Amino acid sequence: MNQDTTKLSRRNFFKAGTVLASGVAIASALTPYDGLLFAAESPGAKGKWYGIGIDINKCIGCGKCANACKQENNVPKDPFYFRSWVEQYTIKNDGSILVESPSGGVNGFTQSVPDNEIYKSFFVPKMCNHCAKSPCTQVCPVGATFETEEGIVLVDEKYCIGCRYCVQACPYGCRYIHPEKGTADKCTLCFHRLKHGLQPACFEICPTEARIFGDLNDPGSKLNYFLKNHNCMVVKPHLNTGSKLFYNALSPEVR
Amino acid sequence: MPQHIKRLISVFAIFIVLFLVMRQVLKPSSFGKLGHFRADAIYENTLKPMHYTIADSCTKCHKSVRAEKDKGFHKRLKCEVCHGPGLKHSLFAEQFKGKELPDSLKLYKPGERKDCGVCHQKNAARIKIQFDTINTTMVHQIDLAEHNPPDLKANEPANCIDCHNPHQP
Repeated sequence: MNQDTTKLSRRNFFKAGTVLASGVAIASALTPYDGLLFAAESPGAKGKWYGIGIDINKCIGCGKCANACKQENNVPKDPFYFRSWVEQYTIKNDGSILVESPSGGVNGFTQSVPDNEIYKSFFVPKMCNHCAKSPCTQVCPVGATFETEEGIVLVDEKYCIGCRYCVQACPYGCRYIHPEKGTADKCTLCFHRLKHGLQPACFEICPTEARIFGDLNDPGSKLNYFLKNHNCMVVKPHLNTGSKLFYNALSPEVR
Repeated sequence: MPQHIKRLISVFAIFIVLFLVMRQVLKPSSFGKLGHFRADAIYENTLKPMHYTIADSCTKCHKSVRAEKDKGFHKRLKCEVCHGPGLKHSLFAEQFKGKELPDSLKLYKPGERKDCGVCHQKNAARIKIQFDTINTTMVHQIDLAEHNPPDLKANEPANCIDCHNPHQP
């Protein structure tokens, strides 16, 4: 084998390298790499970008939100199908944690632990986090679930094949298979109400205004006011799902 | 080119053409317009029926109740919190003015102890801090087992609304 043909002089190596690097730089300036853009700004940076705020201090656990969601969206009445539900966390004096959600809190709660054993107790309303980088959307094999420009994760009922992959992919347990339709079903943030300029049913109904709904891109929105004035946190931040459901006074016990 | 390669190429060509034709037929027209999903599904999601209305539509008829409620502790509650979804109710009333409502459209009238207890039954997890807005009141916590318990022998229900007006508690 002739060594000379494969040998590259130092000068030629730098020449070729410079040409290649500048070529990549020019090409990337013409069509920016989407992945880098995504990290720099949220996909809905221009229009509306809906988010949710929940004040745990204000929640009285009446379960009206869970009830309203079931009635507004025709969710099956069985106690294991929920788009929105409430959990009661009770941390006892001995450090053990009790999580209760009798039929999702639709009919309210009763205190099951006597007062003298409770260290602290609170309600946590739960619903779809409408993640910006939602795991459920990423795993769908047929493209039947997607994120709209406003940041709402929706399901295409006609296209869903009911494979249940998204149900187990959601780290917050916010999806279920609809027993009649056989397709995945989840919170749509009452998309049909938003289009009429109304709030989602659970936000409309909350008697203590513990739930705040708004546009994260609008600096004057109620939600941004809430986020600025409280120490808010999302559930499972280590998963980097881009969750847009912000809790005030969230205890680390909540999962 | 050898014969077997030519045959292989033609087989591949047939499969690729078949794939393209099938893709054209089977793929929904709006798929891929906005991303890896059917763009029409966004519109289809807006078509679902509504059940909850907005508070103002109640006061078109029930003015006196609203005036009563505005003076009491329940002034910030929307009617549908207790009475349930009322869009059909209000649409019927708007369309057929003065007509009797059919029973199916009549809204729920809460009055039993458990209805009030949903918010007011004593619970350690219920609100512990005061509201930071205009009306600085807590949600009253009442132990339903102790507060005027129903006399089971006399068969008297002892409902909350016997003493408290729910619109002006």
